[in-house]
Amino acid sequence: MAEQLLDQVRDVVDGQIDFEGQKLAEILATALLSIAGAISFLVGYSLQDIALALKIGLGGTALTFLLVVPPWPFFNRNPVQWLPVGGGPAVTSTQQNLVIDEKLLARQ
Amino acid sequence: MYNSLTRIQNVFGFFTSVAFVVAAIIAASDLIAPRTPSGMIEPTSVQVVKGRPHYYSTKKEEYAIIKFSLEADLSSLFTWNTKQVFVYVTAEWPSLGADGAVTQNNSAVIWDNIITSPSADHLSNMPPVALRRLIESTAGRVIDPGRGKFQLFNHKPKYQITHPSGHIAESSDVKLRLHYNVQPWVGALTWDQQGVDLGLWKRLSDGVSEAFALPPVKRKDDAKTSSSKAKTKTKSKAT
Repeated sequence: MAEQLLDQVRDVVDGQIDFEGQKLAEILATALLSIAGAISFLVGYSLQDIALALKIGLGGTALTFLLVVPPWPFFNRNPVQWLPVGGGPAVTSTQQNLVIDEKLLARQ
Repeated sequence: MYNSLTRIQNVFGFFTSVAFVVAAIIAASDLIAPRTPSGMIEPTSVQVVKGRPHYYSTKKEEYAIIKFSLEADLSSLFTWNTKQVFVYVTAEWPSLGADGAVTQNNSAVIWDNIITSPSADHLSNMPPVALRRLIESTAGRVIDPGRGKFQLFNHKPKYQITHPSGHIAESSDVKLRLHYNVQPWVGALTWDQQGVDLGLWKRLSDGVSEAFALPPVKRKDDAKTSSSKAKTKTKSKAT
Protein backbone atom coordinates (compact mmCIF):
# COMPACT_ATOMS: atom_id res chain seq x y z
CA MET A 1 0.00 0.00 0.00
CA ALA A 2 2.72 2.41 1.07
CA GLU A 3 4.84 1.27 -1.85
CA GLN A 4 2.06 1.95 -4.33
CA LEU A 5 1.63 5.42 -2.88
CA LEU A 6 5.37 6.07 -3.13
CA ASP A 7 5.34 4.93 -6.75
CA GLN A 8 2.54 7.35 -7.53
CA VAL A 9 4.42 10.20 -5.85
CA ARG A 10 7.55 9.28 -7.80
CA ASP A 11 5.61 9.30 -11.06
CA VAL A 12 4.17 12.73 -10.36
CA VAL A 13 7.53 14.22 -9.36
CA ASP A 14 9.32 12.57 -12.26
CA GLY A 15 6.56 13.69 -14.59
CA GLN A 16 7.41 11.71 -17.68
CA ILE A 17 5.49 12.49 -20.84
CA ASP A 18 5.30 10.76 -24.21
CA PHE A 19 7.16 11.74 -27.38
CA GLU A 20 4.32 13.75 -28.88
CA GLY A 21 3.96 15.51 -25.54
CA GLN A 22 7.67 16.38 -25.54
CA LYS A 23 7.33 17.96 -28.97
CA LEU A 24 4.31 19.93 -27.79
CA ALA A 25 6.10 21.02 -24.59
CA GLU A 26 9.06 22.26 -26.61
CA ILE A 27 6.87 24.29 -28.97
CA LEU A 28 4.78 25.65 -26.08
CA ALA A 29 7.81 26.76 -24.07
CA THR A 30 9.45 28.50 -27.04
CA ALA A 31 6.29 30.20 -28.24
CA LEU A 32 4.97 31.32 -24.86
CA LEU A 33 8.27 32.75 -23.66
CA SER A 34 8.86 34.60 -26.94
CA ILE A 35 5.33 36.02 -26.91
CA ALA A 36 5.62 37.05 -23.26
CA GLY A 37 8.91 38.84 -24.04
CA ALA A 38 7.44 40.62 -27.05
CA ILE A 39 4.30 41.70 -25.17
CA SER A 40 6.31 42.89 -22.19
CA PHE A 41 8.44 45.16 -24.37
CA LEU A 42 5.58 46.48 -26.49
CA VAL A 43 3.29 47.20 -23.53
CA GLY A 44 6.15 48.65 -21.49
CA TYR A 45 7.26 50.89 -24.33
CA SER A 46 3.81 52.08 -25.30
CA LEU A 47 2.83 52.84 -21.70
CA GLN A 48 6.41 53.99 -20.87
CA ASP A 49 6.44 51.88 -17.73
CA ILE A 50 9.45 49.64 -17.20
CA ALA A 51 8.10 48.05 -14.01
CA LEU A 52 5.06 46.90 -15.97
CA ALA A 53 7.34 45.38 -18.61
CA LEU A 54 9.18 43.48 -15.90
CA LYS A 55 5.95 42.23 -14.35
CA ILE A 56 4.55 41.05 -17.69
CA GLY A 57 7.80 39.29 -18.54
CA LEU A 58 8.02 37.50 -15.22
CA GLY A 59 4.30 36.73 -15.18
CA GLY A 60 4.47 35.21 -18.66
CA THR A 61 7.45 33.12 -17.60
CA ALA A 62 5.63 31.86 -14.50
CA LEU A 63 2.65 30.94 -16.67
CA THR A 64 4.94 29.07 -19.06
CA PHE A 65 6.47 27.11 -16.17
CA LEU A 66 3.00 26.24 -14.94
CA LEU A 67 1.87 25.08 -18.35
CA VAL A 68 4.98 23.19 -19.45
CA VAL A 69 6.56 21.64 -16.37
CA PRO A 70 3.81 19.49 -14.76
CA PRO A 71 2.91 16.29 -16.68
CA TRP A 72 -0.53 17.47 -17.76
CA PRO A 73 -2.80 14.84 -19.36
CA PHE A 74 -2.52 16.51 -22.78
CA PHE A 75 1.20 15.61 -22.81
CA ASN A 76 0.32 11.93 -22.47
CA ARG A 77 -2.26 11.45 -25.20
CA ASN A 78 -0.04 9.27 -27.38
CA PRO A 79 1.57 6.67 -25.10
CA VAL A 80 4.18 4.42 -26.68
CA GLN A 81 2.86 0.93 -27.56
CA TRP A 82 5.59 -1.37 -26.27
CA LEU A 83 6.11 -4.93 -27.50
CA PRO A 84 4.94 -7.58 -25.08
CA VAL A 85 7.44 -8.74 -22.48
CA GLY A 86 9.17 -12.09 -23.07
CA GLY A 87 7.93 -12.65 -26.63
CA GLY A 88 4.42 -13.59 -25.57
CA PRO A 89 1.43 -13.04 -27.79
CA ALA A 90 1.23 -9.49 -29.03
CA VAL A 91 -1.24 -7.22 -27.38
CA THR A 92 -2.33 -6.05 -30.73
CA SER A 93 -3.65 -8.92 -32.76
CA THR A 94 -2.15 -7.55 -35.99
CA GLN A 95 0.93 -9.07 -37.54
CA GLN A 96 4.22 -7.56 -36.34
CA ASN A 97 7.01 -7.04 -38.82
CA LEU A 98 10.49 -6.59 -37.39
CA VAL A 99 13.36 -5.56 -39.64
CA ILE A 100 16.71 -6.75 -38.32
CA ASP A 101 19.81 -6.51 -40.51
CA GLU A 102 17.59 -5.83 -43.52
CA LYS A 103 15.92 -9.21 -43.13
CA LEU A 104 12.28 -9.24 -42.57
CA LEU A 105 11.28 -11.36 -39.62
CA ALA A 106 7.64 -12.11 -39.79
CA ARG A 107 5.97 -13.33 -36.69
CA GLN A 108 2.56 -14.78 -36.65
CA MET B 1 11.71 17.38 -22.24
CA TYR B 2 10.85 13.84 -21.10
CA ASN B 3 10.59 14.58 -17.38
CA SER B 4 9.84 17.55 -15.15
CA LEU B 5 13.45 18.38 -14.36
CA THR B 6 14.52 18.66 -18.00
CA ARG B 7 11.46 20.75 -18.72
CA ILE B 8 12.37 23.13 -15.88
CA GLN B 9 15.90 23.40 -17.23
CA ASN B 10 14.73 24.00 -20.79
CA VAL B 11 12.13 26.62 -19.90
CA PHE B 12 14.53 28.45 -17.59
CA GLY B 13 17.30 28.32 -20.16
CA PHE B 14 15.15 29.87 -22.86
CA PHE B 15 13.77 32.39 -20.35
CA THR B 16 17.28 33.74 -19.76
CA SER B 17 17.74 34.17 -23.52
CA VAL B 18 14.42 36.01 -23.85
CA ALA B 19 15.22 38.20 -20.84
CA PHE B 20 18.58 39.12 -22.36
CA VAL B 21 17.10 39.99 -25.75
CA VAL B 22 14.27 42.07 -24.23
CA ALA B 23 16.82 43.89 -22.05
CA ALA B 24 18.98 44.61 -25.10
CA ILE B 25 15.96 46.00 -26.98
CA ILE B 26 15.02 48.17 -24.00
CA ALA B 27 18.58 49.49 -23.82
CA ALA B 28 18.51 50.20 -27.56
CA SER B 29 15.18 52.02 -27.25
CA ASP B 30 17.08 54.81 -25.48
CA LEU B 31 18.72 55.68 -28.77
CA ILE B 32 15.42 56.71 -30.36
CA ALA B 33 14.45 58.91 -27.41
CA PRO B 34 15.63 62.44 -28.24
CA ARG B 35 17.75 64.22 -25.65
CA THR B 36 17.75 68.01 -25.76
CA PRO B 37 19.21 69.13 -22.44
CA SER B 38 20.08 72.73 -21.73
CA GLY B 39 21.47 74.64 -18.81
CA MET B 40 22.56 78.12 -17.88
CA ILE B 41 25.13 78.48 -15.17
CA GLU B 42 26.93 81.45 -13.71
CA PRO B 43 28.95 82.10 -10.59
CA THR B 44 27.30 84.53 -8.20
CA SER B 45 29.94 84.99 -5.56
CA VAL B 46 33.44 83.67 -5.23
CA GLN B 47 35.79 83.68 -2.29
CA VAL B 48 39.00 81.94 -1.38
CA VAL B 49 39.84 81.08 2.22
CA LYS B 50 42.66 79.26 3.99
CA GLY B 51 41.84 75.99 5.64
CA ARG B 52 43.02 72.56 6.57
CA PRO B 53 42.13 69.38 4.70
CA HIS B 54 41.27 67.74 8.03
CA TYR B 55 41.38 68.68 11.68
CA TYR B 56 44.84 67.38 12.58
CA SER B 57 46.51 68.52 9.40
CA THR B 58 49.40 70.95 9.79
CA LYS B 59 49.20 71.87 6.13
CA LYS B 60 47.15 74.90 5.20
CA GLU B 61 45.50 75.02 1.83
CA GLU B 62 43.47 77.52 -0.09
CA TYR B 63 39.87 76.65 -0.70
CA ALA B 64 37.62 78.31 -3.25
CA ILE B 65 33.97 78.67 -2.33
CA ILE B 66 32.05 79.33 -5.50
CA LYS B 67 28.37 80.15 -5.17
CA PHE B 68 26.45 79.77 -8.38
CA SER B 69 23.10 80.11 -10.07
CA LEU B 70 21.88 77.33 -12.32
CA GLU B 71 18.86 77.01 -14.52
CA ALA B 72 18.71 73.55 -16.05
CA ASP B 73 16.25 71.74 -18.28
CA LEU B 74 17.16 68.07 -18.29
CA SER B 75 13.56 66.90 -18.69
CA SER B 76 14.28 65.10 -21.96
CA LEU B 77 16.64 62.74 -20.13
CA PHE B 78 13.75 61.15 -18.25
CA THR B 79 12.40 58.27 -20.30
CA TRP B 80 10.88 54.95 -19.27
CA ASN B 81 14.35 53.47 -18.95
CA THR B 82 15.81 56.23 -16.78
CA LYS B 83 16.48 55.19 -13.20
CA GLN B 84 18.16 58.34 -12.05
CA VAL B 85 20.15 61.25 -13.35
CA PHE B 86 23.27 62.42 -11.59
CA VAL B 87 23.80 66.14 -12.11
CA TYR B 88 27.06 67.80 -11.22
CA VAL B 89 28.81 71.10 -11.66
CA THR B 90 32.55 71.33 -12.13
CA ALA B 91 34.90 74.24 -12.01
CA GLU B 92 37.59 74.07 -14.65
CA TRP B 93 40.71 76.11 -14.84
CA PRO B 94 44.17 75.81 -16.38
CA SER B 95 47.41 75.68 -14.45
CA LEU B 96 50.05 77.85 -16.00
CA GLY B 97 53.74 77.09 -16.05
CA ALA B 98 56.53 79.62 -15.50
CA ASP B 99 56.42 80.66 -19.15
CA GLY B 100 52.68 81.20 -19.01
CA ALA B 101 51.86 78.11 -21.03
CA VAL B 102 49.08 75.79 -19.89
CA THR B 103 50.60 72.80 -18.11
CA GLN B 104 47.45 71.20 -16.70
CA ASN B 105 43.75 71.47 -17.02
CA ASN B 106 42.10 71.18 -13.63
CA SER B 107 38.55 70.15 -13.03
CA ALA B 108 36.83 69.82 -9.67
CA VAL B 109 33.25 69.09 -8.70
CA ILE B 110 31.67 71.84 -6.63
CA TRP B 111 28.09 70.54 -6.47
CA ASP B 112 26.18 67.41 -7.35
CA ASN B 113 22.74 65.95 -6.95
CA ILE B 114 20.82 62.76 -7.73
CA ILE B 115 17.46 63.18 -9.43
CA THR B 116 15.53 59.93 -9.21
CA SER B 117 12.87 58.87 -11.63
CA PRO B 118 9.54 58.03 -9.91
CA SER B 119 10.23 54.36 -10.69
CA ALA B 120 13.36 54.59 -8.49
CA ASP B 121 11.97 56.69 -5.63
CA HIS B 122 11.99 53.72 -3.28
CA LEU B 123 15.76 53.49 -3.70
CA SER B 124 16.53 57.10 -2.87
CA ASN B 125 18.28 57.95 0.34
CA MET B 126 16.04 60.69 1.67
CA PRO B 127 14.35 61.56 4.93
CA PRO B 128 10.90 59.89 4.99
CA VAL B 129 8.96 63.15 4.98
CA ALA B 130 10.83 64.57 2.00
CA LEU B 131 10.47 61.25 0.20
CA ARG B 132 6.71 61.17 0.79
CA ARG B 133 6.42 64.74 -0.49
CA LEU B 134 8.44 63.80 -3.57
CA ILE B 135 6.27 60.78 -4.30
CA GLU B 136 3.08 62.79 -3.82
CA SER B 137 4.37 65.50 -6.15
CA THR B 138 4.45 63.09 -9.10
CA ALA B 139 0.82 62.06 -8.51
CA GLY B 140 1.28 58.45 -9.52
CA ARG B 141 2.96 59.12 -12.86
CA VAL B 142 5.70 56.63 -13.74
CA ILE B 143 7.82 59.24 -15.51
CA ASP B 144 8.10 62.79 -14.31
CA PRO B 145 10.21 64.88 -16.70
CA GLY B 146 9.39 67.94 -14.59
CA ARG B 147 11.99 66.77 -12.12
CA GLY B 148 14.64 67.55 -14.71
CA LYS B 149 13.69 71.23 -14.72
CA PHE B 150 15.11 73.13 -11.80
CA GLN B 151 16.57 76.44 -10.79
CA LEU B 152 19.15 77.19 -8.17
CA PHE B 153 19.73 80.78 -7.21
CA ASN B 154 22.96 81.86 -5.54
CA HIS B 155 23.41 78.29 -4.36
CA LYS B 156 26.11 77.28 -1.90
CA PRO B 157 28.60 74.78 -3.31
CA LYS B 158 28.57 71.32 -1.76
CA TYR B 159 32.35 71.06 -1.97
CA GLN B 160 35.06 73.65 -1.45
CA ILE B 161 37.76 73.00 -3.95
CA THR B 162 41.50 73.28 -3.88
CA HIS B 163 44.42 72.22 -6.03
CA PRO B 164 47.02 69.50 -5.29
CA SER B 165 49.56 72.30 -4.84
CA GLY B 166 47.36 73.90 -2.18
CA HIS B 167 47.18 77.14 -4.17
CA ILE B 168 44.03 78.18 -5.92
CA ALA B 169 43.68 81.89 -5.19
CA GLU B 170 43.90 84.26 -8.12
CA SER B 171 43.54 81.49 -10.66
CA SER B 172 42.23 82.99 -13.85
CA ASP B 173 40.11 81.64 -16.66
CA VAL B 174 37.91 79.57 -14.33
CA LYS B 175 34.71 78.27 -15.85
CA LEU B 176 31.78 76.45 -14.31
CA ARG B 177 30.37 73.62 -16.36
CA LEU B 178 27.19 71.60 -15.94
CA HIS B 179 27.42 67.83 -16.41
CA TYR B 180 24.99 64.99 -16.17
CA ASN B 181 25.15 61.22 -16.03
CA VAL B 182 22.08 59.24 -17.02
CA GLN B 183 21.76 55.94 -15.18
CA PRO B 184 19.27 53.68 -16.92
CA TRP B 185 17.45 50.65 -15.56
CA VAL B 186 18.89 48.59 -18.40
CA GLY B 187 21.86 49.59 -20.51
CA ALA B 188 25.02 51.61 -20.31
CA LEU B 189 25.65 54.75 -18.30
CA THR B 190 25.79 57.82 -20.49
CA TRP B 191 27.34 61.18 -19.73
CA ASP B 192 26.88 64.59 -21.30
CA GLN B 193 28.40 64.47 -24.73
CA GLN B 194 31.12 67.12 -24.36
CA GLY B 195 29.92 69.19 -27.29
CA VAL B 196 29.13 66.34 -29.66
CA ASP B 197 25.73 65.49 -31.12
CA LEU B 198 25.07 61.74 -31.30
CA GLY B 199 22.05 61.10 -33.50
CA LEU B 200 18.98 62.21 -31.57
CA TRP B 201 21.07 62.97 -28.49
CA LYS B 202 21.89 66.63 -28.78
CA ARG B 203 24.78 68.14 -26.88
CA LEU B 204 24.10 70.09 -23.71
CA SER B 205 23.07 73.51 -24.91
CA ASP B 206 25.10 76.21 -23.18
CA GLY B 207 25.96 74.69 -19.78
CA VAL B 208 29.20 76.67 -19.39
CA SER B 209 29.72 79.92 -17.53
CA GLU B 210 31.84 82.75 -18.77
CA ALA B 211 35.41 82.69 -17.59
CA PHE B 212 36.09 84.39 -14.28
CA ALA B 213 39.06 84.81 -11.96
CA LEU B 214 39.30 83.70 -8.35
CA PRO B 215 39.95 86.50 -5.85
CA PRO B 216 42.95 86.67 -3.52
CA VAL B 217 42.78 84.83 -0.21
CA LYS B 218 40.31 86.44 2.12
CA ARG B 219 42.03 87.96 5.16
CA LYS B 220 40.67 87.62 8.66
CA ASP B 221 40.62 91.41 9.16
CA ASP B 222 38.49 92.13 6.10
CA ALA B 223 36.09 89.33 6.86
CA LYS B 224 33.20 91.75 7.14
CA THR B 225 33.50 93.07 3.62
CA SER B 226 31.29 91.35 1.13
CA SER B 227 32.83 88.51 -0.78
CA SER B 228 34.25 89.64 -4.04
CA LYS B 229 31.77 89.34 -6.82
CA ALA B 230 32.30 87.22 -9.84
CA LYS B 231 31.95 90.37 -11.88
CA THR B 232 35.75 90.48 -12.05
CA LYS B 233 35.53 87.88 -14.73
CA THR B 234 37.60 88.34 -17.80
CA LYS B 235 35.36 88.75 -20.78
CA SER B 236 36.73 85.90 -22.84
CA LYS B 237 33.77 84.28 -24.49
CA ALA B 238 33.12 80.73 -23.36
CA THR B 239 32.37 78.39 -26.19
